[in-house]
This record gives sequence, structure tokens and C-alpha cells, in this order.
Amino acid sequence: MDYKEEIIDHCKHPRNFGDLEDPKIIIREGNSSCGDMVEIYGRIVARKIEIIKWKGIGCAISTAAASMLSEKVVGMTKVDLEKFGEGGIIKMLGGEINVGRVKCATLAYKALLKLFDE
Amino acid sequence: MTRCHSDTIKKTMFDVNKIRGDFKILKRKVNGHDLVFLDSAASSQKPRQVINTVVDFWENHNANVHRGVHTLSVEATTMMDEARKKIARFINARPEETIFVRNATEGINLVAYSWGRKNLKKGDVIIASLLEHHSDLVPWQEMCRETGATLKIIDVDGNGQLKIDPPSRKASEGRSELREEDGVVCGPLSEILDENCKLIAVTAVSNVLGTLVQISEVRDQRSEKAPGALLLVDGCQLVPHMPTDVKKMGVDFLVFSGHKMLGPSGVGVLYGRKEILEKMDPFLFGGDMISEVKAGHSTWAELPHKFEAGTPDFAGAVMLGAAVDYLSEIGMENVRDHEKELIAYGLEKMKKLEEEGLVKVYGPLNAEERAGVLTFNVTGVHAHDAAQVLDKYGIAVRSGQHCGAPIVEFCGTSAMCRASFYIYNTKEEIDCLIEKIREVPKVFRIDN
Repeated sequence: MDYKEEIIDHCKHPRNFGDLEDPKIIIREGNSSCGDMVEIYGRIVARKIEIIKWKGIGCAISTAAASMLSEKVVGMTKVDLEKFGEGGIIKMLGGEINVGRVKCATLAYKALLKLFDE
Repeated sequence: MTRCHSDTIKKTMFDVNKIRGDFKILKRKVNGHDLVFLDSAASSQKPRQVINTVVDFWENHNANVHRGVHTLSVEATTMMDEARKKIARFINARPEETIFVRNATEGINLVAYSWGRKNLKKGDVIIASLLEHHSDLVPWQEMCRETGATLKIIDVDGNGQLKIDPPSRKASEGRSELREEDGVVCGPLSEILDENCKLIAVTAVSNVLGTLVQISEVRDQRSEKAPGALLLVDGCQLVPHMPTDVKKMGVDFLVFSGHKMLGPSGVGVLYGRKEILEKMDPFLFGGDMISEVKAGHSTWAELPHKFEAGTPDFAGAVMLGAAVDYLSEIGMENVRDHEKELIAYGLEKMKKLEEEGLVKVYGPLNAEERAGVLTFNVTGVHAHDAAQVLDKYGIAVRSGQHCGAPIVEFCGTSAMCRASFYIYNTKEEIDCLIEKIREVPKVFRIDN
């Protein structure tokens, strides 16, 4: 597996990284096998994601996935997000994630799904 | 025979190239490169002799054990019994003290459920250490929660060594080093050990930092301050790598897993001192562990069968016996000598990279205090990413928390890379690792 330029870019310059003033929802998700952690701050308006900010520690894959998702999911409903699925994450990351890294790739996505449960 | 002479004989017996020839997998290519397998602490590779044993078993001797009077069943039973005897001899235990379990985790759970549930109560103390693998920590957390006993943790010093501190040294200093870690009292053994302690669960070798723990010091303190406390040792990184003698160590329980010592996954061993095992109730109930069964009640079989309910992994046990034969043929002192040479070499090379600011090394920096486990991070790169880049060059290292989250966190990081060595590894492979570590920052455009 090679690191695509886009992953390196998002990893070095993560988008929407930081706190959200007056977040409606905060979700914390950890990956106990590697110690990665992501915290998602979001606001949902009319059942759609209005804004996402996030913070976390993790590898290039989990960082890039959180960064890319924070742009991609704005405007999505829960159904949209579910439809996007883990397959969508893998595709978004360049389509080449080995089985050992799937947990890294989907960490932020799992947290995002919980946004709608709150 | 002079010592020098015997050393020469030992050395000539250990031929790493000959050993490598027994491991076909070491000839395979990974991503176009020769495989450099540095992940034996997670699971070792298996030599042809061990694989052939299980093929021979399935093809020529297979039948269920302890059940039939027919020839195949008798052969299978005899082979499993022989394997048990070999494994017992390997750690200087008696066969009836050598219980087959699925893995070390199951062995520890067996002790927790069978001994812990019956013997622990509020006011009692269980002591584990900050170096423990999750398998030797979580069962004790749960047992304390269930019985009301208290968990205390032996702390670690800056070199990754357990703070055992003989009472004599403690007395001369006179100040307390106790602290709280996640609501649990954490400190030197000398400060947390008293007669309330009912069991000390400690690893002989840290799977994260490679630290060799002075079990004899733990044992001596136990004998002095809490003679009633049992000593359970996690031998997962000990038994595959150096001579092990449960009697000399003076342990009450020792657990280890087959797959880390050239054997199969799915088989591990719990050693328990006979007098203790005899007083313990079974952990699992069913076939094979009974003496007499009536409609309304049953009595238990003798050791070791009392703790081996159901059809065991008999083929796995036979294969583990073959692994023990293979290791015994090499000699466990030779195994340790070889790995000590590798870790000394690896530490020296890695320290140079550290001086350049390229990596951070974790754990004891002295081969005398360390097993063949080299733990590091590449500066500015997450462990998973470093491992992924190394994999591109055919180098297999483990990355993450190594099922030892508390000690990883104690070292001030969230994840680490770990290169671990075994009988088939070479200095050339370490050179390859060191060379390719230099490529890692380039991928992430980090200037060191």
C-alpha cells in the first residue's frame, strides 16, 4: 500500500481541525488496538450535518480520513452517511486500504454515525 | 571440560543459516523484497519439523483422545501424553501440573475464575504490574470488581524496569513513591505489598519493552511480606526465549502460548503447583474432566484432566511437543545467547539513529536487562505509518499498543513500533531494518 499524495496532504494539513464553538454534539471514538482517538464536534440542522470540527491523535490514514470526511459529510443525512458506508471511505482514501488498516480508516466515520444517535 | 571449551561447542551447535533452512516461509518475497520477519513476539514462524509432525498426526494417527480402545485412539492419546511430558520437562514441571489451555489468556482466566472467585473477598489485594499484557491485567480488574478485592499496580521506572525495591533500599530512602493511576494505587512492590495480598500477577518479560523482570526478587519479597500470596507469572515472552525452571523460579502458576514458540495457535499451557491445583475447582465442566457422573451429580477427574473439559486440541498439543523438541535440540541457553547478541546489536544501531533525532527508543538500553524486543518510534510518524512503510520493503514489525496500553501511555506515547527477534533472525536483517527506517520520514516529508 502506497501513501497517496492526497492522504499525505490531509495528514500534514488536516481540514476542520479544532474546536467548534457551541457544538451541539461531541462524540469520542477510540481504537483500543492502536491507541488512536478522535473527537468529533458537530451540529445537525433539519436532520442534516451542518458543520463538523474534529480533533484527535492517530496515524496518517485515520487523520486523513477524518479530515476528508469533515468536508465530505456536510449536508448529509443519516441515510446519506449510511449509504456512503465503509466502502465510500476506502474509495475516498484511494481504494487501497489493507485489512490491518480498516479500523484506522473508519474511526472517524464510526464517530460520525453516532452523531445522529445523540 | 573448561568453560571456554563448552562455550565453543555451544556456539558451533547454533547455526542460524541451518535454522533458517527449516523455515520455508523465510524464503518468500513480500512486496518484491526478501521477507524480514521481526514480529515473533506476536507469533513465531514454524519449522518444517513441527509442521511435518502435525501432517503426520492427521494423516496417520488421528482419532479422539481418552475415549477409544482402538489402535488410533490409543496412538493419539499416547502422542498427546508424550507431548505433555516433554512440555513439562521443558519447564521442569510434572505432567499433572501441566494443563493444556487455548492460550495464556485462557490460563490466566482459569486461575481467576477457579481460584479467584472462591478465595478473594473484600479487603484482599491483587497485585499486577504496569508492564502487564492486557491478558494479565483485565481478568484481575474483573475479579476485583466481582469479589470486592482491591487491585494494586507495581510501578515502572524511567528505564522500563519494575520498581521492586528491596525493603533494605527503601528504608534508607524513607520517602513514599506511591501514586494513583486511573484510581488504582501504583508504587514500588515494597510499598504496596503486605499480608492482605493474595496473589501477585507479573510478567517475566515485557512484551512491549522487552524488560527482563527479576522474578526472584518479587518471589523473595512475597515470601517475606506476604507468604500466603500466590505468584502467577506470565511466561509468554520467557518460555520461548530462555531456559525456564518453575521450581527454581518458585512460582505457583506460569502461563505461556504455543504459537509464540514455534508451535500452533490454539494451544497454551497453564503450569500450577500441584498442591494448589488440587484444591481448586474446575473452570469448565463437561466431558473428559469427570471421574464419575450420575444423573444428579458428578465428581472430578484427577489432574491435569480436571481442568481440560471437552475434546482438547490434541493435534495442537502434539505439534507443541514437536516445537519443544526443536527448541531443546538447539538448547535454550543458545537461544537466549543468540537473541542477546541480536538485541545488543539492534540497540547499538538504534541508539545511533536516536542520536541523529530519527527515532526514539523505549525500554532498557542494556542487553543484560532486555529480551529480543526492540521498541521505537520514528520521529513525527505514527507507528502504524512507519510499519506500513517498512512493510513496503518486506519488513514485518508490529505497531500499535501491543495489548499493553498502560505501559505505552506511561512512556508518553499512543503507539509504538516493535521489532522482535527469534532463533532465525540475523544481524543483516537488523541492518536492513535500520536502513529502511531512514526511508520512513521521507515518505511523510519530515526533515529530521
